[in-house]
Amino acid sequence: MRVSGRKEGGETRVDPWSQAWERAAAGAVAVVDCGERIPCNPCEEACTRGAIEVGEDICAPPRFDPGLCDGCGRCVAMCPGMAVFLLDRSVGNGRARVTVPYEMGEEMRAGREVWAMDGEGKPLGKARVVGAKKRGGRAGTTLVTVEVDEGWALKVRGVRDRLITLEAPLEAEAEPLKEYPLCRCEEVSGPRVGEVAAEFASLRSLRRFSRVGLGYCQGRFCQDMLRERLARAREMEEGEVGTFRVRPPVRPVKLGKLGGEDA
Amino acid sequence: MSLPLEEREMAVVGCGPAGLCAAITAAKTGADVVVLDENDRAGGQLIKQIHRFFGSRRHGAGKRGYEIAGELERESEAAGVEMRLGNTVLGLFPGGEMMVEDRDGVYVLRARAVVVATGASEKGLAFPGWTLPGVMGAGAAQTLVNLHGVLPGRRVLMVGAGNVGLIVSYQLLQAGAEVVGILDVSERVGGYEVHRLRVQREGVPFYLGHRVVQARGRYGVEEVSVEEVGGASRKVFRADAVCLAVGLSPLAELAAMCGCRMVYSRELGGFMPWHDGDMRTDQPGVYVAGDAAGVEEASVAMEEGRMAGLSAAEDLGAMGRKEAERAKDEVRRFLWELRGGPYGEAKRRAKESVHCA
Ligand SMILES: Cc1cc2nc3c(=O)[nH]c(=O)nc-3n(C[C@H](O)[C@H](O)[C@H](O)COP(=O)(O)OP(=O)(O)OC[C@H]3O[C@@H](n4cnc5c(N)ncnc54)[C@H](O)[C@@H]3O)c2cc1C
Ligand code: SF4
Ligand code: SF4
Repeated sequence: MRVSGRKEGGETRVDPWSQAWERAAAGAVAVVDCGERIPCNPCEEACTRGAIEVGEDICAPPRFDPGLCDGCGRCVAMCPGMAVFLLDRSVGNGRARVTVPYEMGEEMRAGREVWAMDGEGKPLGKARVVGAKKRGGRAGTTLVTVEVDEGWALKVRGVRDRLITLEAPLEAEAEPLKEYPLCRCEEVSGPRVGEVAAEFASLRSLRRFSRVGLGYCQGRFCQDMLRERLARAREMEEGEVGTFRVRPPVRPVKLGKLGGEDA
Repeated sequence: MSLPLEEREMAVVGCGPAGLCAAITAAKTGADVVVLDENDRAGGQLIKQIHRFFGSRRHGAGKRGYEIAGELERESEAAGVEMRLGNTVLGLFPGGEMMVEDRDGVYVLRARAVVVATGASEKGLAFPGWTLPGVMGAGAAQTLVNLHGVLPGRRVLMVGAGNVGLIVSYQLLQAGAEVVGILDVSERVGGYEVHRLRVQREGVPFYLGHRVVQARGRYGVEEVSVEEVGGASRKVFRADAVCLAVGLSPLAELAAMCGCRMVYSRELGGFMPWHDGDMRTDQPGVYVAGDAAGVEEASVAMEEGRMAGLSAAEDLGAMGRKEAERAKDEVRRFLWELRGGPYGEAKRRAKESVHCA
C-alpha cells in the first residue's frame, strides 16, 4: 500500500514513523518524513526497488511502500532534506535500531557511545553506535545506526558526539543606540534620511540630495534600503519608487586600465 | 585612443547555472559562444554550496552544489563554449557592445546576442551597529566557511529563516560554529520544512516574530539586542557574528544600462528586466535568465538558461523556428513542473505578471 507523506488536498497525513513500525519488525525499513509540496525528487531515483514514488508532478510528496523496501539506505544518503531515516525492530528484546544521516565533522564508528537526539535537538540519552558507513563517495553522507530502547525509536532524529548547551539570551534592556549609517560609503545617517525622505518625489532626487548610493559600491548595498524608506515615507509601493539610473562601469575600475599608460 | 574590439556571435555574462546552460544550449546548435565571469571559477552560486541540492534529478539534485558546477563546466567544454573567467563586464550598450575588464586591461566585445545571467545580490539590513565587523551577509559567511575555511564567528545569530538562512545555519554548524538562534520578523519559517527540521534537530532555537534592534561591541560585534515585533520583550544575545539572510534581489544592472525596461515584483526579489516567456527582453538581441530575471532556484535557472539559449540560437539563425519551438515546449513543461507546490505557484504567478507588465 502506498501512503503519501503528509496532508495533501485535505487527506490527513499518515505519520511515516507509525507507517514503518509494523514492517520494521522484520528488519530495516525506510521512514520518509517529508510531506510538503516542494520541487524535489532525488529519493525516488535513489531507490532502485521502486519503493519511493514522486512521479510526474515533481512537487508531490514522496509516496512510500514499505512492502517494497529492503532497508538498503540509499535514499537516506541521497535526500537533500535529510528527511529519510531507517527503523529496524528485528533485534527484539525491547530494543530497536534507528539510522540517521550524519554530516557533522565528528568521526562516527561502531562501538562509540553518542547522544541520541530528538527532533527538537533535546538529548534523549546515550546510545551505542552499531554501524556507521559512508555512502556516495568522498563527498558522501555517513549513515549512523544507533541501538536504543524501543520506547525512543520513534523519537530519535539525530546523533551527537557531545552535548552543547546554548546560553539563553538575557531578558535585558540594553541602552538603545539611535544613530547608524544607511550608506556606508558616504556615511549618511539612516535616521536623518528617514526624516527628510517624505520631501522627495523620486528615488533619484533623494539619492542626489542625500548622496546615498553615490559612493564606491554604487548603491549595491543601500539602494534597496533607500527605496524601502522612501516608499514608507511617501506611502507608496516599492515598485512605484523606481530604481537608480545605472551607469558604467558597474564595478570600480582603475582609470589606468581604461586609458593605458599615457592616458 | 580606442579600446581593442572583438566581434563574436553570442556572449553570455555570468557563469552560474543559468549562463552555462544558455551557452551549452546555443553552442550545441553550432553558434559561436563566449561566456564571461568576473570570478576565477565557473559555477556562480553553486561553487560554495556544499549541501546536496533539492530539486529535480534532471538538474543534478541530490548532488552537492559544487559537483553540479563541475558537471556543467565539463559539458560547456565539450560543447565548444569559450569560457573566460576573471573577465568583468563593466558596461553593456545598445547594439550588443560591452566593455570588459580582464587582467591586462579593458576591451570591447560586440555580440549579436547577449544573455545577461548575472545572478542576484544579497539584500542588506541597516540598524545601529550594522557596520561593526562581524555583521555580514549569509552569502559572505558561506564564502568564508566553504571556500576559505574561516569561521565568521564562534557564536552566530542568523537573521532570516528562509532557505538561505536555514542552509547557511546548518553549514555554520558543520564548520564548528554555534548558531545561537535564527530570527525572523515573520511569524512563520519561510524555508522548506525539511530544512527547518534538520536545523531544529541540531538544537538551534527559532525566534519568530522578532527583529534586530542593535548590535554593540568595541572592535566587533559582542552582543545583539532583538525585540518582539509589536511586543515589549527584549532579549540580548552574546554573539560575535550576525548573518543577514533577508533576501536576494536580481542583479541586472547591465540590462538596465542598455535600455531594458525594468519591472518590479516583490515575490521575485525586486526590479528585473521585463522579459517574455522565451527570456527575450524588450531590447533586440538581449536575453535574461536565472536569478537576474527574478530570484528562484538553480533548477529553474538552468531551464531559463536553456530557454534563453534557444531564443538566441533561433534569432541568430543557428536553429529553425520549428525545431526551436519543439525544444522550447520541453523547457516550458519542466518550468511548469518546477513551479508547482505552494512555494512554486507564488513564483509562477509573479512570473506571469512580469511577462504581462
Ligand atoms: C545558500 C544558498 C543555498 C541554495 N540552495 C539551493 C538548492 O539547494 N537548490 C536550488 O535549486 N537552488 C539553491 N540556491 C539558489 C541557486 O544557487 C541560485 O538560484 C542559482 O545559483 C542562480 O543561478 P544564476 O546562474 O542565475 O546566478 P549565479 O549562480 O549567481 O551566477 C551569476 C554569475 O554571474 C557573475 N557576474 C555577475 N555580474 C557580473 C559582471 N558584471 N561581469 C561578469 N560576471 C558577472 C557572477 O560572478 C556569478 O558567477 C541556493 C542559494 C543560496 C544563496
Ligand atoms: S531504503 Fe533502499 S529500498 Fe528502502 S526506500 Fe530507501 S532506497 Fe528504497
Ligand atoms: S529527496 Fe528528501 S526532501 Fe526531497 S522529496 Fe525526497 S524525501 Fe523529500
